[in-house]
Amino acid sequence: MSIEMSTKLGKIGITTEVISEIAGGAAIDCYGIVGMASQKQLKDGISELLKKENFSKGVIVRQQGEEVHIDMYIIVSYGTKISEVAHNVQNKVKYTLDKMLGLSVDSVNIFIQGVTVTNP
Amino acid sequence: MVLNNLDGKMLSKMVIFGARNLTNNVEYVDALNVFPVPDGDTGTNMNLTITSGRKEVELSTSNHVGEVAGIFAKGLLMGARGNSGVILSQLFRGFSRALEGKATVDAKQFAAAFDGGVVTAYKAVMKPVEGTILTVAKDSAKVAVETAEKTDDIIVVMEAVVKEAKASLDRTPDLLPVLKEVGVVDSGGQGLLTVYEGFLAKLKGEELPEGASALSMEELVSAEHHKSVQSHMSTEDIEYGYCTEFMVKFEEDKLNESPFNEEEFRNTLSNHGDSLLVVADDEIVKVHIHAEHPGEVLTYAQKHGSLINMKIENMREQHTTILESDKKTKAKKPKEKANYGVVTVAMGDGIADLFKSLGANEVIKGGQTMNPSTEDIVKSIKEAHAETVFILPNNSNIVMAAKQAAEVADARVIVIPTKTVPQGMAALLSFNPAQSPEENEASMLDGIANVKTGQVTFAVRDTSIDGVEIKENDFMGIADGKIVVSHSDMEKAAQELLSNLIDEDDEIVTIIQGEDASDKDVDALVSYVEEKFEDVEVEVHKGEQPLYAYIISVE
Repeated sequence: MSIEMSTKLGKIGITTEVISEIAGGAAIDCYGIVGMASQKQLKDGISELLKKENFSKGVIVRQQGEEVHIDMYIIVSYGTKISEVAHNVQNKVKYTLDKMLGLSVDSVNIFIQGVTVTNP
Repeated sequence: MVLNNLDGKMLSKMVIFGARNLTNNVEYVDALNVFPVPDGDTGTNMNLTITSGRKEVELSTSNHVGEVAGIFAKGLLMGARGNSGVILSQLFRGFSRALEGKATVDAKQFAAAFDGGVVTAYKAVMKPVEGTILTVAKDSAKVAVETAEKTDDIIVVMEAVVKEAKASLDRTPDLLPVLKEVGVVDSGGQGLLTVYEGFLAKLKGEELPEGASALSMEELVSAEHHKSVQSHMSTEDIEYGYCTEFMVKFEEDKLNESPFNEEEFRNTLSNHGDSLLVVADDEIVKVHIHAEHPGEVLTYAQKHGSLINMKIENMREQHTTILESDKKTKAKKPKEKANYGVVTVAMGDGIADLFKSLGANEVIKGGQTMNPSTEDIVKSIKEAHAETVFILPNNSNIVMAAKQAAEVADARVIVIPTKTVPQGMAALLSFNPAQSPEENEASMLDGIANVKTGQVTFAVRDTSIDGVEIKENDFMGIADGKIVVSHSDMEKAAQELLSNLIDEDDEIVTIIQGEDASDKDVDALVSYVEEKFEDVEVEVHKGEQPLYAYIISVE
């Protein structure tokens, strides 16, 4: 699946994988995040920490009509202000997608899947 | 002054000073903010965070270092705003943990607390980005521990921390490319440094002004300007075109009529533009603003007094000038005029590349059915930028144009009347930059004489030339301008042409493959030559020329 953007010269299609990789990469730049988590916690049993190549499991890109929504499943560090870390991630992801792809995101929803006490 | 033991009261005061120093520098820290999101709020966020911590500390009356640090950390955590705010709260969370349960601390414990802060802060991040507040905290904590090994004086430790934080901050552009690009140090690191500086000021018993900006107007202006560079990448994007700086010297009678209120003044000006800075005291107000209508700003400000030290710059002009001068320095590197230049004409990218590899400076696109104009040639002569320029037209139809161009051009131009591509190449091979122009002309003409040219192309209509019957779409073999063979089969035509051209003195045959000849065709032709003329060497180049399936030179 890909997100289509129309320009004067033609269309640009960006697959959701690319968007989720970029969003994931931007997110882990943020302070307080210790990992991305699979959103299928029930199925996977534990919230496995996802390595870089698996970002797409923790980042869901949805397109509803003209709007682009992103759901991110993250694990944060214990002792940080979680609401603020989430907010920072939202900002950073929105900014990075706009800067790298020219993609304006309508919402970045953060789901805190876990809190870890130390770095894995 | 020596301080060997730090108590809770002192730590409270340090925290208050650190927070105050950061508050004083908020605008500067904001202006530096380019990472992770260049929204210019790092200072604001850090300030809100530390102010929350400071308030908690001010409410406490404890003299227990561990307790005070804990209260501070909790306040920071609750008030954490933004990335740098969260990091700041983590640094002091680790700091307070290291001091837990201690009523007073010595230099070693104090230094260890910085280290504890760094350890905690680094734990809370998946991928620490170096060149940020984290790096500054880490570097300075390391020096703190080292210094505490040598001294028991807490002030000396804090001095070392500030010194290293500053040095580390200066290094951040080397670690984080985006900072280098913009030419700033990390904003969060700068924020942390101001906090540390506040700590040190208190320890040394220095005073810090509350509320006033500790930075000079110049520093603020340059920080604001850098922000403009950030947001105004192209000239059209400059929303407010004039960088306006001035001072208003208050005059009493004017003040009586319209009293000066800094906040109101600032708010009014902010409607006129951006990058606004207002610094006022009792006698003067300094203003820096990027406005679209500087006149309106001046008129408004003049209500309070007389204008002095005015400076208005058109930023669009400046920006365009910068862009253009960039372009110029890139495009026009002052090039030394060369002794010799060679301009030639060719069809097909492959032939153009061949000529260039042989040393031609300029290759004009053209040839049969597509002759370049005199103007094209003059232009190329200019481009060649040399004292003496040789022109190899490679086509009898272009020789005249080349001669005309020679007369108009500024340089000394010598036309070598090459009529075919192989002649042009032979001439170019005979060229020797070490020789005089006259000698070169002679040897190039010699070169032309030593090469025979064969061309294979197709007929566009029925005709009979030089005793050869030609039918439309037949392939013609042309030897030095004379049609010697016509055949319905391309290979047959080429073979007959070669037989016609090659005699027993010839050593090298060069085949330039055109668009219309396939690799298979060429291979077959090469085999044919090798079989039939044992002493001849065959070379093949891809000329990609249209119209001529083969251009062949025989030497």
